[in-house]
Amino acid sequence: MKKLLSILLVMLMVFTLVGCAKKEEAPAEEEGEGKVFHIYAWNEEFKGFFEKYYTVPEGIEVVWTIVPNEGTQYQDALDLALMNQDSAEADEKVDMFLAEADYILKYTNSPYTQDIKALGVTDFSNTYTYTVEAASDADGVVKGVSFQCCPAGMIYRRSIAEDVLGTSDPDEVQALVSDWTKFDEVAAKCAEKGYYMTSSYAEDYRVFSNNTSSPWVDANNNLQIDPAIQTWMDQAEAYVNNGYTLTSGVWDAQTTEQAAKDGKTFCFFGPAWYYNFCMGPAFGDDAKAAGTDTIGDWALVEGPQAFFWGGTWLLAATGSDNPTMVADVMNAFINNEEVCENLIKNEAQFTNNQKINNKYAEDPDFGNAYLGGQNDTAVFAKGAKNIKFQNQTIYDQGCNESIQTYFVEYLQGNVTKEEALSNFYKALKEKYPAINVPEA
Amino acid sequence: MAKGNEKKHRKSVSYAKWAYIFITPFFITYILFTLIPQFLTVYNSFFENYRNGLEQVGPNFVGLGNYIRLLTPDKSGTIDFLRYLGNSLAMWIAGAVPQFLIALLLAVLFTSTRLNLKGQGLAKTIIYMPNLIMASAFSMLVFSLFSNVGPVNKFLIEAGILKEYYNFFATKISVRTIIAAMNFIMWFGNTTIVLMAGIMGIDQSLFESANLDGADSVHVFFDITLPLLMPILSYALITSMIGGIQMFDVPQVISNGKGTPNMTSTTAIMMLNNYLGISKNYGMSGALSVLLFIITGILGMFVYRSLAKQYKD
Repeated sequence: MKKLLSILLVMLMVFTLVGCAKKEEAPAEEEGEGKVFHIYAWNEEFKGFFEKYYTVPEGIEVVWTIVPNEGTQYQDALDLALMNQDSAEADEKVDMFLAEADYILKYTNSPYTQDIKALGVTDFSNTYTYTVEAASDADGVVKGVSFQCCPAGMIYRRSIAEDVLGTSDPDEVQALVSDWTKFDEVAAKCAEKGYYMTSSYAEDYRVFSNNTSSPWVDANNNLQIDPAIQTWMDQAEAYVNNGYTLTSGVWDAQTTEQAAKDGKTFCFFGPAWYYNFCMGPAFGDDAKAAGTDTIGDWALVEGPQAFFWGGTWLLAATGSDNPTMVADVMNAFINNEEVCENLIKNEAQFTNNQKINNKYAEDPDFGNAYLGGQNDTAVFAKGAKNIKFQNQTIYDQGCNESIQTYFVEYLQGNVTKEEALSNFYKALKEKYPAINVPEA
Repeated sequence: MAKGNEKKHRKSVSYAKWAYIFITPFFITYILFTLIPQFLTVYNSFFENYRNGLEQVGPNFVGLGNYIRLLTPDKSGTIDFLRYLGNSLAMWIAGAVPQFLIALLLAVLFTSTRLNLKGQGLAKTIIYMPNLIMASAFSMLVFSLFSNVGPVNKFLIEAGILKEYYNFFATKISVRTIIAAMNFIMWFGNTTIVLMAGIMGIDQSLFESANLDGADSVHVFFDITLPLLMPILSYALITSMIGGIQMFDVPQVISNGKGTPNMTSTTAIMMLNNYLGISKNYGMSGALSVLLFIITGILGMFVYRSLAKQYKD
């Protein structure tokens, strides 16, 4: 028995050695570019599109590293990889990584990203200006592209609009919510009928934070709360007190469940990816199977203020051993008309190619089944041109997440307003030692 | 004759040599991966050293600056570091009191020769089980159980006990109770096993003679078991306290890393984690670790002294 075991072990060891040897004998690189294309991302969204619509050159293996976005987990993992880029093996190097509007500045303004015009991405004639501005460093050098454009709007429930406002027509509803005063009036009417205006105190946070007149942190590194954020805090307080909204966060199950059949919420705020991917209880497969979906009961309008939310930029990592493929992927997702059309038709995306977007915006037969056949591309195409990428800092993700986290405690009645703000300042100071916060 | 003696002598010496050789790997790993990093932590605590975005700030020598900042009270007069440490200790005590009481009781029951309980093996395995689950996985489970739309709330509403959902994670008392209860469930099995080993190490003849002398179980427990168990009990208590001071994963997951409500579930190690997070603030986190080390040492000494003194004679 013992003998048998030892023979087995020896055989195992020999085979492992042989296995190792084989790997090392792999054919040498062709044309000087790597065999492994390494992409860092925080979710599966882009991976799905990439696998469906991008033809990977033969002989190249695509490796994904996916780390969740929340907190700073994704950035931590990415930073570590980028800082080790020089010493990493060619096949281990990051070639391309994804970044969000909240922290893209950190990477574009660093030597860890490279000029994509030099790599061969030169045609930006069809992209939206703000997506190029966002991917440029302080000197205007473009470091990446966005594969989607994320103008956002107000997504309202048609049946509730009919009940409360007597109409569900997008144009008429838009006229009734075209500014915040009117929006408040509708909220009051919703409450009278037993509905919530929004399902989370922070549902419309991005509308305000996107329309600020100053960045979170000024040139002297002092934290400042913009009047728009102040307005949001006042609105959230009033809405919670009046019963117009709930105190759960934007991503809480309780909030998204409001989009299901027995939900009582009038509207949500977000771009195309929000209602296509984040309103599971309204459109998801589980909901469909259970019969609790609300497909077709929604419509999209611009809402009180235009804004954008999120967007995924593809950035070219310095030191990549696959520069040709980096450029090829980027070109495919902004300039390849077939890829862009697929993204609109099959994936309900609003692409970063104006020509293709406009083609579908003008198509009377094109519509989104979730929205009862409404042509959402037409709504977005109108708003997208006016988006500006402004007042951004490298601290935005932390600021935007923390203000929501700590302010809601005041709304829930656990702390005073001063305590809530003091907790916010402390959390920021722990996260970002370079920011000067008011004495807390 | 003399030759034979010499041989024997040499043999014993060479055994000792082998013993040293066998334990060297431990010391090498210990020095490389524990001792040197510990000194580096102390060293780092005197420097300003963090990352702002992707740009490295420092290391600049700041003397005791990091310690001073950590121990400076805020506007309302509280020192956050001590407050968070207090949170850790409060949650540890709330979990440790039932943990030790129940573990003691179970250990005595399981080792009692008079009762000679059946199915002990199974019982011991079951009470140890929760310790095998990863703390973060267990926290996720409890989080979804008690969430606003979770089964606990649904049950309470359907049973007519509550009118609308109760937000378990927005109230200090419920969050802390949940965390303490989880720590209790995860650790009482482990403590039971340790204490059982301690009780079984006590000379059986002592129990027998006590029985012959007519001592009842209460007297046997307080006059024989407890005093002789003290070394093991204080060991278990001190290790548990160190674990309590270093509490991290359960509150981190339960509060989604935010330490809500009003920072009452923020523990000292969560603060450390915030410093180390995006800005890799080695200076502040070094200072925090050193303070924590000192405080743990003092508390450990205090617990040991007070227990050992009581039963020294």
